Amino acid sequence: MNALAIHGLELVRPGGFRLSIPSLSLSQGEQALLVAPSGGGKSTLLHLIAGLEDPDAGSIAIADMPISSLRGAARDAFRGASIGMVFQTFNLLHGFSAIENLTVAMMFSSVPATTHDARARALLSELGIDRPEQAVETMSVGQQQRVAVARALACRPTLVLADEPTASLDPANAATAIGLLQRACRDHGAALLCTSHDPSLREHFSRVIDLGTVEAAR
Amino acid sequence: MTDFTIVLRSLSLRRFSTTVTVTMVAVSVALLLVLLAMRDAGRAAFRRGTGNAHLLVSADTSPLVAVLNGMFYANAPSQPINWAAYMKIREAFPWSWTIPTQLGDSFRGSPVMATSKEFFTSFEPVLGQPWTFVAGKAFEAPYEAVVGAEAARMHGLKVGSELVLAHGMGTASGAAAHEHEDHPVEVVGILAPTGSAHDRAIFTSLETSWCVHAEESRLKEANAANPGEDDHGHLHVDPEDLRDSEKLITGILLRVPTRPGEQVSSALPVAFDLLRRQFPFTVAQPAQQVGRLFEIVSGVDTLFIAMAVAVMVAGALSVMLALYNSMDLRRRQVAILRVLGASQGRVFGLVLAESAIIGLLGSGLGIALAAVFGTVASAELQRRVGLVIDPSMDLRTIVLCTAAATFLACAAGIVPALRAYRTAVVQGLRPLG
Repeated sequence: MNALAIHGLELVRPGGFRLSIPSLSLSQGEQALLVAPSGGGKSTLLHLIAGLEDPDAGSIAIADMPISSLRGAARDAFRGASIGMVFQTFNLLHGFSAIENLTVAMMFSSVPATTHDARARALLSELGIDRPEQAVETMSVGQQQRVAVARALACRPTLVLADEPTASLDPANAATAIGLLQRACRDHGAALLCTSHDPSLREHFSRVIDLGTVEAAR
Repeated sequence: MTDFTIVLRSLSLRRFSTTVTVTMVAVSVALLLVLLAMRDAGRAAFRRGTGNAHLLVSADTSPLVAVLNGMFYANAPSQPINWAAYMKIREAFPWSWTIPTQLGDSFRGSPVMATSKEFFTSFEPVLGQPWTFVAGKAFEAPYEAVVGAEAARMHGLKVGSELVLAHGMGTASGAAAHEHEDHPVEVVGILAPTGSAHDRAIFTSLETSWCVHAEESRLKEANAANPGEDDHGHLHVDPEDLRDSEKLITGILLRVPTRPGEQVSSALPVAFDLLRRQFPFTVAQPAQQVGRLFEIVSGVDTLFIAMAVAVMVAGALSVMLALYNSMDLRRRQVAILRVLGASQGRVFGLVLAESAIIGLLGSGLGIALAAVFGTVASAELQRRVGLVIDPSMDLRTIVLCTAAATFLACAAGIVPALRAYRTAVVQGLRPLG
């Protein structure tokens, strides 16, 4: 079973943007870096994989479930249960504490409700957050990033999608952050597809997918 | 973590906007509740006040004025009825009872009504509920008084208290025209509350009032006749010395005979016609006049209720505006919830739940405000108009108002909830600006 399997994906947008991926897959627990120049479609591909956008043609399957054929609430529920996402700006829920950001994420997953609190505390502790009740907007950038990683893993996802997770960090911190993300995904058995336009991250991944030459990377 | 927690957190994040919106809903609910409560209580108070009297005769200019003056103590009737006329009326029909009354004096703003003993034995202030005394008994001799429950409470009167009555209906401040200071009256009885205008009145015998006024007018006459002499200060008039011209009343309460247990009688129209044809006075059927009063004020009533409903709708619109405007700021929150797995329907429900909670909180606060407003308005009505009303709200009205406010708030939440429902997730995730 693949964590991710894409076949014959086509997306055309007005203005000449075109994304075409004949085939792309990630095995369970595999980690890959997706590179492309700015505007090359990295984020769009992640949105397609997460089911936030629909392709014009082709199929996308997560753990053999064709998310692109799911509709409405079923697709949302599947995303909540199987996919974790980390964003460049973290996109944490302001006004909520670190632990609440995780328990909100677990509300929409298949994780039993009775274990939410304990799992959230364990994840945060594992990622070095010692004040789980602190409101996220009062945390440092590094802490917020850790909370974002913990939230992505909270639902026991098959696949974690990280969209430019290090774009706002300097090179030293970027290396630390990517290391943290990789280790966390590895420890929790989640595959990782990370996008970046930062060439220095290539050395951290055994597999690099260049969207411009995706045929060659297959 | 539950949906309810998310809703509460979202509301508390917009604390100021939430507070203003809840207050707006609360004021509209309170306004509606107070108007409904006052209308119902006011009508009840008027209905109760007419008691078991079938007819009221007075020299007032219209039946409605006669009832407002004679039974609700609005003003002292301007024209008197002499005792001979009363006796003729009494003999003109086989009445069940007749009770002469006289208004014109007051005690610190509370009206004083002089009447006969039958007022306490035959007249029922509330249909089917005779007078009861919480202390003492009815007056038996001149210069004795019985005090209504509200008047006793207002002035701290008890059995044994002495009152100096004043000429004129006076004001609450006690600024009456002239005090009968030579004739203090002793309180011999305190009445139980009836929920009618009679609660704020003080009752004395006709002889008390007649003697006081006779002494004063005779003294005035004596002083005018012999301006040089000053020994007329202790002129005393006993009831048996009263001249017929000094026995004046201002109203007559009448009841025609009825079958036991019945309140209406086929004899009433006959008696009514007889009085109108044979006597130069105004004849009123109190219950009918109260109904007429309601007809007159029902238009204003409806207008007030319509205004309160309009305020409620304005409250609902403010809920819609507050939530709709907040959607710009919450675009990201909605997008994040969608990414985490919340369906469009669930996001719609969360926003709708916010508006419902605003409606419920507003209603709760509105009920509390209405209780305060009602008490204040009731006290003010009593002070200004003398109408003793119970501003309590019935449970059915409270439930209906709460349901209406919540429903309106929910309806107002539909537009912002649709906006949340349609939030494009991908756009919402992009940094603002």
